[in-house]
Amino acid sequence: MKIKQLFSHNETYLMMIVIVFSLVLTIINPVFFTLENMFDLLRSSSGTAILAVGVFLVLLSGGIDVSCTTIAIAGQYISVNVLIASGIDSIGLAFLISILIGVSLGAVNAYLISTFNLPTLITTLGTSSLFHGLLLEFVGTKAVNVGDLPESIKAFAKVQILNINRPDGTSYGLSIFFVILVAIVLVTWIILKYTMIGRGIYAIGGNREAAKRTGYNVKKIQFFVYCYAGLIAGVMGVLHLSLIRYSNPTYLVGKELNIIAAVVLGGTKISGGSGTLTGTLIGVALITILEKNLILIGLSSYWQKFFIGLIIVLGVTITYAQNKISTRRNLAMRGA
Amino acid sequence: MSEAFLEVKNISKSFVGVTALEDVSLTIRKGEIHCLIGENGSGKSTLIKIIGGVYRADSGTITIEGKELYKVQAIESIRSGVQIIYQDLSLFPNLTVAENISINQMLESNQQKVNWKQIRETSKKALEEIGESNIPLDERVENLSMANKQIIAISRALTQNAKLIIMDEPTSAITKEEVDHLFSIILKLKKRGLSILFVSHKLSEVFEISENITILRDGKKVGQYPTADLDHDKLIYIMTGCKLEFSPYIYNKKLRQEKPLLEVLSMSKINQFSDINFTLQKGEILGITGLIGSGRTEIAQALFGLNRPDSGEIWMNGELTDIKNPEDAINNGIALLPEDRLNQGLFDFQSISDNIIVTILKKFLNKMGLMNSAKRRKAGNDWVEKLKIKTPNSFNPVNSLSGGNQQRVVLAKWLATSPKVFILDGPTIGIDIGSKHTIHNIIRKLAEEGMGIIMISDEIQEILDNCNRVILMSKGRIIKEIKDSRTTNSDELFEIITKDTAAGVNA
Repeated sequence: MKIKQLFSHNETYLMMIVIVFSLVLTIINPVFFTLENMFDLLRSSSGTAILAVGVFLVLLSGGIDVSCTTIAIAGQYISVNVLIASGIDSIGLAFLISILIGVSLGAVNAYLISTFNLPTLITTLGTSSLFHGLLLEFVGTKAVNVGDLPESIKAFAKVQILNINRPDGTSYGLSIFFVILVAIVLVTWIILKYTMIGRGIYAIGGNREAAKRTGYNVKKIQFFVYCYAGLIAGVMGVLHLSLIRYSNPTYLVGKELNIIAAVVLGGTKISGGSGTLTGTLIGVALITILEKNLILIGLSSYWQKFFIGLIIVLGVTITYAQNKISTRRNLAMRGA
Repeated sequence: MSEAFLEVKNISKSFVGVTALEDVSLTIRKGEIHCLIGENGSGKSTLIKIIGGVYRADSGTITIEGKELYKVQAIESIRSGVQIIYQDLSLFPNLTVAENISINQMLESNQQKVNWKQIRETSKKALEEIGESNIPLDERVENLSMANKQIIAISRALTQNAKLIIMDEPTSAITKEEVDHLFSIILKLKKRGLSILFVSHKLSEVFEISENITILRDGKKVGQYPTADLDHDKLIYIMTGCKLEFSPYIYNKKLRQEKPLLEVLSMSKINQFSDINFTLQKGEILGITGLIGSGRTEIAQALFGLNRPDSGEIWMNGELTDIKNPEDAINNGIALLPEDRLNQGLFDFQSISDNIIVTILKKFLNKMGLMNSAKRRKAGNDWVEKLKIKTPNSFNPVNSLSGGNQQRVVLAKWLATSPKVFILDGPTIGIDIGSKHTIHNIIRKLAEEGMGIIMISDEIQEILDNCNRVILMSKGRIIKEIKDSRTTNSDELFEIITKDTAAGVNA
């Protein structure tokens, strides 16, 4: 019974794909399945995963947010510029500024969507362009090179919580990024499972009209969702900066589709109301492994786009086919 | 006689100058099952929404347990024990049974944290109260049958200390057996002292369950009677304001041809139907009935090219035909009025006229391949007139029409293709009595003019009243054919169907 239950979840199948894929990679290149490589993958994909949590929340509520990457880059670029201009070299301040910007821009989305009841895709498409335009015009277009980057930001990427020594005396370890990811996932999980506002997100994603009749404050819930997504984007902005040690205000923008794809691949319904954090994380894992490791098997990076596209189309097809089968099964049961 | 729970006095309500309710009064005692009946547009929904505090009456009073509610708010009405179960049930398909049942109570208690233990206990208790503890608490509501969804909605109302449950057309989407089950629950609730206001337009059910009936017509109350004082004909007369004549349909044997209009030979499709054989003559109205899942709708779709059978033959006028898709069906002179007219039969926001002529658009092309608008418009208007569709303008969107008139639009749309065989799947589902009668008359007239009609319905009485021959189905097979519908009655047919279905379940 337990195993049967396991196989009724999308996550199980996805996890199996991840495992098979990892095995293939390991056979081709044994370096893949080493702790070191795993730690490295975790560090480099934490940002994507964090952003995916925000997108997941928005999808769950029945909306979609394509402005998340723009918000992340705005948070990043403004905070690094403030740090340089003010001369205060503090990672804490960088996070604070980036998060404030994230929440404020998220609040703009939230205000437009909840007050005027606008379609979320068009709204965030619009605000995304609006935010980016303002950023480039008023803050600047000049990239911040590693030489100008505050020390604390560079140092942050090197913080490790677990350190393992190699035989030759050098060491590798688990990055602090992973801790931040775990914290965000945990907090989000608690909100979704144990707070009324979290259940409200499921409710408005499942049946908005019924949620209203039941007495949920739909506007308040939407406001929370978009602000929270903005907050998460703010955190991600700083992590991304710290990881690549370079800030270019045109980076990240355009990556939002990959992130939405990872979330949908993870089994979250694009129409809202249904999905899990576990699925989201596995979806991100799959896309990340693909992105980073095609080169390991000797394929050019252009194949990345092809394979990501293939996975999305296959993933969506499988999800739909499964739904269709279960609907038929239900109908058959009714008929019997 | 026990005391009154709800007293509605002299309620009037109008929307932008149009009177929806005029001086309506209604009293419901504690533990009473009261029925509110009336045709579409008679003001039933408006009245229950006023009781529920969704709308505010222009004048009149509402008293609950002796306490007059001044300007009823939704929350006041709920706190006084009034729960409305709307037709759409307002459930969350993505959430579990337990959460759906407890959600109102959680919100009402204004807590911020979610207590899953409490959710399970509340929902378990609510289900047990009505003897439905076999519904799994952790199942998602989207996976439940319509009948079970209804039970979830009722249980949710119970968690709110409901004293009066108003059910808006609760039986429109469930089978006869499920209706019986629902009624047994309603009786349980009555025993516990709850009052029920049952809104419906299915007369047989109203007679079965209610103690008193309030009848609305055109926003006015035309009577409140103990159910025992009414009979079927009298109720129809009060509801519609006119006497409707019922006479069986008699097949004109002169129309009979040597080769039948339609002949189906051993048609089968795995898991849907098997070994289906029947013929249809010109001028016949052939009824097909059976419970939901008996395969009747699947057969209709197979004949119309929407559901390809695995094997079998379809003959039209003595010629073997292959119907792969609806286009083939239309070319062969077959038309289908689908069961679910909103999803399958109409383009909601397009005009009435365009909805009708969509099947014959090709007729309006000129030599250049362009559309002749004048002809198109005229054709649309002609049909609106022919079928007496009630609208000030045939360019109004089709969703501005009432259910009965929408059904006429779908009829017109298929009649425009001048079909030889017209399959009607549930032609009067959700349509009130007056309109129903008109539609039946249209169908009869078509048959008298030589069209072959297949009428599918789960209302056995409707089939008997309008068909000259009847096929009974169960579990995908034809279990009986009645050559002359005048030789039987609805009780007999119902028994045959349910017996066979029950036998299958036990086997």
